[in-house]
Formats: sequence, C-alpha cells, structure tokens
Amino acid sequence: MEKSINPFSARNRLLFAGLAFLLAFFFFLDIMLGSVLYPVAEVLQTLFSPEGSDPTLSTILFDFRIPKAITAILAGVALSVSGLQMQTIFRNPLAGPYVLGISSGASLAVALFAMGFPGLVAGSLAWTGTWTVAIVAWMGSFLVMLLVLAVSARVNDNMTLLILGMLFSSGVGALVTILQYYSNESVLKSFIVWTMGSLGSITGTQLLVVAPAVIAGVLLSFVKIKDLNAFLLGETYARSLGVRINRSRLVIFAGASLLAGTITAFCGPIGFIGIAAPHLARVLFRSSNHLILVPASLLVGADVMLVSDMLSQLPGLNSTLPINSVTALLGIPVVIWMIVRNRKFASL
Amino acid sequence: MKAENRQITLQTENLDVGYAVPGKTDSFTRRAISVSAVRGEIIALIGPNGIGKSTLLKTLAGLIPKVTGQILVNGSPAGDYNPDQLSRLLSFVSTEKPMVPQMTVAELVAYGRFPYTGWLGTLKKEDHLRVREAISKVGITHLSGNMINEISDGERQRAMIARALAQDTPLIILDEPTAFLDISNTYAIFHLLHELARKEQKTIILSTHDLHLALQKMDKLWIMLDTATLEGAPEDAILRGWLQHLFPDDKVGFNASKGEFFFRYKPAGSLAVEGGGKAYTMTVKALERKGYQVTRFSGEKSYISVKEGIKSTAPSWELTGQESRMVFHSIYDLVSEL
Repeated sequence: MEKSINPFSARNRLLFAGLAFLLAFFFFLDIMLGSVLYPVAEVLQTLFSPEGSDPTLSTILFDFRIPKAITAILAGVALSVSGLQMQTIFRNPLAGPYVLGISSGASLAVALFAMGFPGLVAGSLAWTGTWTVAIVAWMGSFLVMLLVLAVSARVNDNMTLLILGMLFSSGVGALVTILQYYSNESVLKSFIVWTMGSLGSITGTQLLVVAPAVIAGVLLSFVKIKDLNAFLLGETYARSLGVRINRSRLVIFAGASLLAGTITAFCGPIGFIGIAAPHLARVLFRSSNHLILVPASLLVGADVMLVSDMLSQLPGLNSTLPINSVTALLGIPVVIWMIVRNRKFASL
Repeated sequence: MKAENRQITLQTENLDVGYAVPGKTDSFTRRAISVSAVRGEIIALIGPNGIGKSTLLKTLAGLIPKVTGQILVNGSPAGDYNPDQLSRLLSFVSTEKPMVPQMTVAELVAYGRFPYTGWLGTLKKEDHLRVREAISKVGITHLSGNMINEISDGERQRAMIARALAQDTPLIILDEPTAFLDISNTYAIFHLLHELARKEQKTIILSTHDLHLALQKMDKLWIMLDTATLEGAPEDAILRGWLQHLFPDDKVGFNASKGEFFFRYKPAGSLAVEGGGKAYTMTVKALERKGYQVTRFSGEKSYISVKEGIKSTAPSWELTGQESRMVFHSIYDLVSEL
C-alpha cells in the first residue's frame, strides 16, 4: 500500500532526472542557437575559458544569449508554479497565473504611463525590459494583488473570487482598449509590442532583481505544499484538517502574485505556460501531490519556455517571433489534447 | 455503562446556529440547541430539509462560527482549541464528493494524517500503519491503489470514512453519509458506523433522512424541528410522539406500537381474510397499501382465502363474493381485481 502513496516512486525519480537533463540540454541548445551560428567547440571554449576567445562571441553569449536563456527558465518556473497554485486554490483547470487580473493590472499601469508620459517612452519601440516600464508594470500588478488580497480576506468563497478576478480583468481590458483608442500610432505600436512579451531585453543587472524574486516565490510555494494539498479536497475539508484557510490563501496569493507579477513586469504578459505546464506535470507524474507537482511543474515550465524561446528565433529567421504567440501556439494544442484525451480533466 | 464511565465527548448549551443572509436584517438561525453525545455512541440528527442540519453539524465541527451559546468538546469550550488541536479531536465527512484527478484511495485516506505530519506532509511508518488500518476497517484494502474518480459512490464514501478514521479523532461528524448511496450500500455504511462506535468507542454523529434505519441502529436521535431540538433514544422519540412532528401534513403517520411509518389513505372499505404464513402477511400488507381495513375471516359473506403453497406448489388466492368465486395466482392479480 505504501506504493500507492509514495510520491517518489522509481518512475517519478526517473522523470525528474529526465526533465532535469532536458533542462540542461535545452539551455545549451538555446545559447547555441541565434541569428549567427557558431561551432559547438568554439562556444564551449568561450563558455569555460573566456580569455583569448572571440570577443564578439563572448559578448553575444554573456550579454545576450545566457541572460535570455536564464530569463526563459525563470519565466517558465515562475509562471508554471503560480499557475499550479491558482488551479489548486480555485479547483479550476483553466485558472492560471493571470486569473486574478495580475496581467491586466500591469497592462493598465503601462498603458496609463505611456499615455501620461509619452515623452518618457516615445521613440523606443522596445519598452520591455526597461526599468521604467518594469517598475510601472510591477506597481500595476502589485496594486491588483493588494486589491485581490483585500477582497479575499472578506470573501470566503473561492468561486466568487474567481468570478470577481475574471470580471476585474475584463473591466481593466476595456479601460486599456479605451486608452489605446486615444493613443498615437507610435505609443500604440510600442504598447502592442510590449503585450507580445519578450525574453531578450532583460539585462544582467535586472536578472539580479528577477532571480531573487522568483526564488522567493518558489520557496513560498514549497512552504505551502501541505496546505495546497489540503485545498485539493475543497475548503471544507482543508478547514477540518486544521488549515487556517484565509491566512494560508493569503500567503499563496502573495507568492503567486510575486512570481507572475515579476515576470510580467520584465517580460510582458506571457500566456498559456502557466495553464499548460501544471497539467503536463500532472499527466506525466500521475500525481496530485504538490510535493511532486510543484517541482514537476517548475521543471516542465522551464523546459517548455526554453523550447518556446528556441522556436521564437529559429535559425533562418532574421527577427524573433513574439514569445507570447509561440507559447500560445505551443500551449493551446497541449491543453486541447489533454481535454480530449482525458475527459476527467474538467473535474479538477 | 456506569455513570462515571460516561464521558461526554460533545455537548451544546443553548447553542444558536445560523448564518447571515446578505441584505436581510434577520438571518437564518436555529435557536437554543442543547444536546449531548457520549463516548461510543452513534447519534443521528434528523429533521426536515432546510431545517439547518448541515448548519448545526458544520458549526459543531468548527467549520462555520456559532451565533451564540456554548459548544463543549471533551469538556472544554470548542473555542479554546486552536485549529490543529481541534483537527485531532474531531473529523468531518461532508456531502461533497472529492473528484481530484490522479489521486489514489490510499492517498485520499492519508489526508487523515494531515494533523500529525510535518510541514511537507511526509508520512512516517506510524502514519502508513494508521492509513492501512483505516482502509482495512472499512473493507476496501483491495482498492488502495485505485484512483478515487474511478470507484463507485459507495466505495468512495467508505474511503472518506477511512480518511476520517485515519485522522484518529474520538469524534466523527458525517453530513448525510448515505445521501448518494443505494439501499444495500446505505445499510452497509450504517452497519460500519455502528461497529466503529461499538468497537472503537468512537462518538459518531451523522445526519440522515433514513428514519427507518435511524430508529434501528442509533443510540440516540437529535430531532431538529422549527420550534425546538429534541434528543433521546429512538424509543423515547416514538413513545413521546416526537416523530409525528416530522410529518406536519396528515398524509403519513407513524405507528407507535410497530415503530413503523405508514401512508394514510381514505379507507377503501373493509375486507376479511383467512389463511396464515408468509403469504397471508404479504396479502394483508398489500391490501393495507390499497387502503383496505383488513379483518380476520369470521363467517363474512365475501372474503379472501389465502392458500399457502405447500412444498413446490405456489400459493393461490380465492376471492369469494356474494355470487362469485375467483382464483388468483399472484397478489398483484388479486388486488388489481378489487
């Protein structure tokens, strides 16, 4: 019987090892690929003994490709872990990191900022990754988070919260559309480019902010693994097992918002990874235990994000595709496949 | 049981339960509930739909706040326990069906160990032992590795009870544990809970609409009515006519001497029956169902004579009227003719 409870079965350990290997492999592949292809030997040599190697390659690797690959990993980790937490709390398979309106909050803040201070952002098409826009976006998602936390302290029912979050997102979306309507062409284009998401514009210094925030968010999710498991059975059972519902939910929301908010601030809103990765993890590991699902979603998310990044800059393409479109085109078939394959999907 | 051995597990004093109805000044409340449960007792909470049975059970389980009054768990006010302590004294089985994908029966039952495990919820040897015991007590050891959304409702309800057992609490509260179950599963669950109260000395409180079973299997009934909440042995409830309050209209009655419910019909007339044995009893039952007042045959002009089957011959019925005599080979045919 222990076998039917033991989360770390031989099969699951093998899967973890496989996903970790893929992570290393995709990471390397990601920094190999780009508009200019260098021989593997040369890249390896530059990686391990940068002195005396081609300075151009060194710059490309250390200033662009490696930060971008690390960003991809961080984004995949953050979005999938926060997506998993939202799916569990709301017991809804279509919940994701943005279900509480974090991305629409960020969008509204960025749109307002662009309208209010066109001088600060005009002229540059690539807002994403600039400190100003990142801080504005973070403030937007942070305000939304505070609002949601304030409401969730009063509303006891998760379904009500979910509906409020969705309504809130739609309302904010309408405001953003109005702002867009009154924007001039260059601001509008920049805004739309921002909503497409980008992994490539994060600098090394910004990573020093993003990485600790993501690590903190992931640690918070680990602290709440046991409570997340309890939430799977519903609030009544969670409460009867001794979980302090409101307090626990507050910590989980704060962690999930930190994760999704940080990534959205620096990379723009990136969709579908947060919905698809936890489902893939559940199907792969055949588990509902968060002790498995948190690390599994995190690895799956990072792997998928690296693949998405590679697809967005396929060799032969002169420019990169918007990362948001790649993740959507990759994520949607996965979700559809899972719905068709597993009819019990909807019962989460 | 001697008086000094009677340990009161749960007691309420002048408890008001209810919840605020948004937008209305007067909220739903049920007032002045004073009931008690002793260790090793199995108790059924009965009452009409919407009277507040779930509200009372959830309040007792600490899932929703009480309005006023006192709840004593093991002699101390329930509010004196923190959630962790309470979860080791009291487990709850709700009407919700947990339909989590990718969760085995054993994993579900292991949730019962939640109050005893560390921050990651890892099970120790002792926890595995308790889980295995709980699963075997409810008789579903063969299902341990099955996914919970691939077993039947009856099996899942057993798993939920095993989960409560694994929680290892002196008190188990179940909200309509047999609501989704067929008759044989309902009997099996009542039997199981009865055994647990006897053998494990658990205090078990459940709500049910199955009065017939409640009267047979319970040590005590809590009867929740508009006006008051009454408690006593099933037989007390019968003697004092409390059960009549559950049927405010006059369509259904309760036969105090038989301890059975019956439907009231306009009498269709009286009929004399002669005969004996099982066939006779069933015939009387069928005639009463049709609204006849049945008397023993004593020379009436028209009567029914039940010929019980001897060995392999089937029973038959003879209906003697003023001028006719008819033979039937089933009760159905007989009562159709009347």
